Amino acid sequence: MTNKAQLSKAQVSRESFGRMIWKRTLGGVGVKLALTWVGILVIAAVFAPFLANSMPLIMSKDGEVSMPVLRYLDTEDAAVLAAFVTLIGLWLLPMHLKLRSWLMWIVGVTAAVAVLASLMLKPPQLIIYDDFRTAAYTEVDWRLMPPIPYAPTDYLRDQRALPLQAPSIQHWLGTEENGGDVLSRMIHASRIALSIGIVATSIAMVIGVIIGGFMGYFSGLVDMIGMRLVEVFESIPTLFLLLTFVAFFGRSLYMMMIIIGVTSWSGYARYIRAEFLKLRKQDYVQAAVASGLPLRSILFRHMLPNGVAPLLVAMSFGVAAAILAEATLSFLGLGLVDAPSWGQMLNQAVKSATFNWWMAVFPGGAIFMTVFAYTLIGEAFRDAIDPTLARATGVN
Amino acid sequence: MLTYLVRRLLLMIPTLLGITIVVFAVMALSPGGVGAQLATETMDMKPQERQAIMDYYNKRYGLDQPAPVQYLRWLNNVSPIGFTVNNDGSLGTFSFTKGMDLGDSFHYGRPVSDILAERIPITLLLNVITIPLIYVLAIAIGVKAATDRGGRFDVGSSVIMLALWAIPTMLAGVLLLGFFANVQQWHWFPTAGIGSRAAQDMPFMPHWGSLWDVGLLFLGVILGTGLAVWLSRWDEVKKRALVSGGVGALIGLWMAAAHAEHVWFNWIALPVLGAAIGYGLGKMPSFAWRVATLGIIGTGMGIVLATQLMGPGFVRGFLFDRIWHLVLPIICLSYGGFAALAKLTRTSLLENLSSDYARTARAKGLSDKDVLWKHVFRNSLLPLITVTAGLLPSLLSGSLIVENIFSINGMGQLAVEAVKSRDREMVLSITWISGFLTLVGYLIADLLYTLVDPRVSYD
Amino acid sequence: MSDLLLDVRDLHTYLRTGEETIKAVDGISYQIKRGETFCLVGESGSGKSISALSVMRLLPAAIASHPAGEIVFQQENLLTLPDAALRRIRGSRIAMIFQEPMTSLNPVLSIGAQIMEALQLHNPGLSTAEAEERTIKALEQVQLPNARRRVRDFPHQLSGGQRQRVMIAMALACEPELLIADEPTTALDVTVQAEILRLMRELQESTGMSLLFITHDFGVVAEMAHQVGVMQQGKLVEKGVTEQVLRQPQHAYTQQLLAAVPENLARQAGRIRGDNPSLTLPISKEGTSTSADSALSLARGDQAGVSPLIEVKNLKVWFPIKKGLFRHTVDHVKAVDDVSFELPKGGIVALVGESGCGKTTLGRAILQLEQPTSGSVKMRGTELVGLSAKALQPWRGRMQIAFQDPQSSLNPRLLVETTLTEPMKVHDIGNNAEERLELAGDALERVQLKRDFLWRYPHEFSGGQRQRIGLARALVLNPAFIVCDEITSALDVSVQAEILQLLLAIRAERDLTLLFVTHNIGVVEYLSDWTMVMYQGKIVERGPTAQVCGDPQDAYTQKLLAGVPRLDKVA
Repeated sequence: MTNKAQLSKAQVSRESFGRMIWKRTLGGVGVKLALTWVGILVIAAVFAPFLANSMPLIMSKDGEVSMPVLRYLDTEDAAVLAAFVTLIGLWLLPMHLKLRSWLMWIVGVTAAVAVLASLMLKPPQLIIYDDFRTAAYTEVDWRLMPPIPYAPTDYLRDQRALPLQAPSIQHWLGTEENGGDVLSRMIHASRIALSIGIVATSIAMVIGVIIGGFMGYFSGLVDMIGMRLVEVFESIPTLFLLLTFVAFFGRSLYMMMIIIGVTSWSGYARYIRAEFLKLRKQDYVQAAVASGLPLRSILFRHMLPNGVAPLLVAMSFGVAAAILAEATLSFLGLGLVDAPSWGQMLNQAVKSATFNWWMAVFPGGAIFMTVFAYTLIGEAFRDAIDPTLARATGVN
Repeated sequence: MLTYLVRRLLLMIPTLLGITIVVFAVMALSPGGVGAQLATETMDMKPQERQAIMDYYNKRYGLDQPAPVQYLRWLNNVSPIGFTVNNDGSLGTFSFTKGMDLGDSFHYGRPVSDILAERIPITLLLNVITIPLIYVLAIAIGVKAATDRGGRFDVGSSVIMLALWAIPTMLAGVLLLGFFANVQQWHWFPTAGIGSRAAQDMPFMPHWGSLWDVGLLFLGVILGTGLAVWLSRWDEVKKRALVSGGVGALIGLWMAAAHAEHVWFNWIALPVLGAAIGYGLGKMPSFAWRVATLGIIGTGMGIVLATQLMGPGFVRGFLFDRIWHLVLPIICLSYGGFAALAKLTRTSLLENLSSDYARTARAKGLSDKDVLWKHVFRNSLLPLITVTAGLLPSLLSGSLIVENIFSINGMGQLAVEAVKSRDREMVLSITWISGFLTLVGYLIADLLYTLVDPRVSYD
Repeated sequence: MSDLLLDVRDLHTYLRTGEETIKAVDGISYQIKRGETFCLVGESGSGKSISALSVMRLLPAAIASHPAGEIVFQQENLLTLPDAALRRIRGSRIAMIFQEPMTSLNPVLSIGAQIMEALQLHNPGLSTAEAEERTIKALEQVQLPNARRRVRDFPHQLSGGQRQRVMIAMALACEPELLIADEPTTALDVTVQAEILRLMRELQESTGMSLLFITHDFGVVAEMAHQVGVMQQGKLVEKGVTEQVLRQPQHAYTQQLLAAVPENLARQAGRIRGDNPSLTLPISKEGTSTSADSALSLARGDQAGVSPLIEVKNLKVWFPIKKGLFRHTVDHVKAVDDVSFELPKGGIVALVGESGCGKTTLGRAILQLEQPTSGSVKMRGTELVGLSAKALQPWRGRMQIAFQDPQSSLNPRLLVETTLTEPMKVHDIGNNAEERLELAGDALERVQLKRDFLWRYPHEFSGGQRQRIGLARALVLNPAFIVCDEITSALDVSVQAEILQLLLAIRAERDLTLLFVTHNIGVVEYLSDWTMVMYQGKIVERGPTAQVCGDPQDAYTQKLLAGVPRLDKVA
């Protein structure tokens, strides 16, 4: 009698359900392109301080080698880098861990690094970017500048650069209304966009799963109250609700994430409720009940993993919607105050009498590509799981 | 059926209450509370005046009372059944015909109902035009894609629909405004609003300087359309495609010439683009589609040509002015919904085309065309109706952005301003009105469903 | 002018799915004469339906192709006929009816409109009034009651049997010469099936048309066909006069299929029903006291003292129907309506009935998977109704259930190993993981599967294998009682035979009590010792199988048994 340990990895879980779905999803060309774009965004988001900054990456002055960039990294940069490195590390290592372990590792390492970084790293609050163009940094033996030698909030005051310039050799995608470089701001904005997308969607999903799960499992009065709640959040045009929240609660990054999450959970609740109702009737769930398995196992081992599939599809669309929501808010002037944002740059395209096309095409194009990419991924996922699902979910 | 209606209407009430409670809670919980705006606006006044105004508002709206009480007061004001409120703010008698008092806007200083009465029709105009437009176009494209399954039209249109759906409304609006309504590019459309000031004084219908001009217009239309139809009737595909490609190139050249500046990119790209589109249209196998698309282009070209040659004295007229202003905003509002609906139509049609009852119809001897239009079509409409319910909130959201970009003074624009200025009465009223409109939309969708599907009956 | 109507010569139909090409029909030839019924019989995947659809080229052109062969009808090759000509033949010279009457009718058009459409399509000169008259006549011809009024009804307002009649009316409206019927009664209840088959025979005799009948049921073949063809994986392995083929099959596959039919299974095993000495206990009749009827319904022997394993008394499962503004309860769906019986230890009791009679609900109510509205269910003397989940827990290990649908009976995310060992862990069977693994492997071997299958996922198995795994899951807890809820209804007849024989073997080893819920009388006669017949929530007849099936007392039972197509009823 062979047991699991004796069978080689190739034999066990030859074709687990999850793997089969994953393979089918990655079939199409469109999906591969979409994942490439998302990959580019992730790289841009993670390595932003190294890709677009006003200070040299590494320089040697009078024989002394220093890395000025490092001095200006802050907690957020460190945490993001740590998360990325952990992710890549886990992926490359030959260990075969479950999803839960992955998440725990990533969250754990990121949190640890964040705490360490907040203690150790102390970037100066006020940075005068013009200094980096003075002799102290330019007359050196050699130096290596980031590919885009402008920080996002570097308004180039010393160069008396005219704001709102069309693309040129110095500024590949042009400048925006304060004089900052568009490409640099776009790269840094990708971090905001991605983080808001992922965190807000996660919040919405957690809320939706909990409420929807209760509704689906307990029915009766709980279901009725839950449905009214879902209807309330569905009936208000999302944008309007967002506006109200944002206008009254302020515009910090974390606030935005929470707000976008709290306003978009209703779709997930509906999905989970429908799935639970369907799953309760499935024979294998009935068999589990008939075998006297504990409630915990029935819910988390038998029902939830099988109900999760449409949720993942919805999540992909949800990230696209969250990114779009943030961009829209920025566009309407209600976005983040300080940080660069694609939506805010798009707004500058038509503000003045002239049409600044580079402000529309490039940031707008980035928004479009991101939404398109996530939509493609979501659709591919949905087709892989269940071609009939496309009909059921209709438009979205 | 009547009990179902009554039940649905009654169920709307808790939802509406819920919506208003949520929004009120957001306002009350926020730092600064409800009266924050008031405090900032009165900052520059002398203390006594300030106190007087604060007192007035406090009395009127109970701003100095705790949040739940304020909510109840507001609810009392809004509901047609409730306590009448005297001028000094105290409660009067209970009455069933009190009427709805939506309050006064802090920001504008006018009654909310007046402002809403001005703005809502504009937003409704935009949406009411958009909805049928979306459906007609979506069904047309969906049907063509489904019948052409796997073919070039199908694959091509699927990708285009997906891309269209992904374009954010604000990007589309900005691009349209920037390219087509801008003095630096093609200034074909107006930049803002839904009507120019002068249009208020214009007669309703357009008015030409002389009879010769009218004749010229008709001539242009007939020539343009006639030539286009004649072209689409050609049987030799290659020649037809080449000729329409050539016409497309000419149009491209003209567009490049009409541009305010001389950009070399335009002079090359536009004719090429025009040629490609023209070639593609000319090559289409379906006669109906060819005539439709080429015909529209021909008519358009004819009109444009005629207008170039016309003399002065052309008065646009209120109707045309309004239409001219609405073109860009409506394109902006409708392309997203249209793309989504087209995909849905295609999916629904494909599914029904391979259903058992379609097979029975074929077994009876019906041609594919008859199977499609007599049997499959009506069944395919069902998911479209279900989706209508969700269409309304998304259109209202879209209106917000479109009105903002095109500076149209509709309800969406009002909502943004109200929220930015923390205008309590306005925000609450807009909230429950949009919620109400959405719920009514759901109800209409459900009722439509019963009309189309005999299997569904509401008891 | 011969009386040869349809001549199928070397038909090939290939289907393109993705990158593969499947040879669905791989060179079959047969002939149908005027006024004759030809049955094509085979298991799922044999290609019989595909070949029927090929006659009128009803397969989607994008997927199907006919690389070789001809179908000659009235001196024309249907496979190469231009579309317009083919459409003139469809519905007027050759008509077809399908398996699922609900989905085969357009739900948004009235039945009258759908029949009139066929009429007006093939008779262009017909006025609307005439067409309507002919429609009503067609409906009356298929014995639809109240035809004139029902013309305006929609398909969802009719029952399954009535819809199939409408389909037949629609097919016959233009008086075709050949009717192709693709498993038309498979989705219908036994009694309804009997009526439809009788109707089709009568119509055939009165109109003189030919019938190409596709089926998987040899009993139907025996009743309907003059000639029969047996298909296996796209090929026609045997063909001939019905009596000849059924009595003296030449081909090995035909012999195998016929041997697997439950009627023949019984004969082979030499079982004489009622002779089983392990049966001691009567099943008490409802309403009367136990002491009186234990003398009454004793089959043989006198061991009346042994207590039954399961006792059900006055069990009711009623579902409320809510209507009106405030959703108050107006009526109830009485799925199980005051049922009482006892199940003896070690016996196989069949619970027979048609769809909607409540037999599935009854099985689940005994297992407390469905909350009984009132009544009592006792196992070994302990009352199960109303027990808390915790108190019910140990009993759950003693009674188990196996399901009908192979697709949904196993959790697709779990390895077979987990599905089998998890219940064991909960009920403290086996001291550690290795022991449980061992026991799970044993269970798999008992259902004739390999031990290595523990490490696979459900989607890697066929339908029959999944049903076996479902049985293994039920067996792994060593229960005393298993409810088999139509476990073979979705399987081919040969696979069904294997599972039934497996059940008998297991029962003998472990002294299991089985409640076998089914609608298939043949299976009942082979498998069970006792039979209960259920109709509209009540048990209308009960007793030893030989008695119930040989000499039924109740009118419904008689009707049920009379409607079953049997092999010995050769046409």
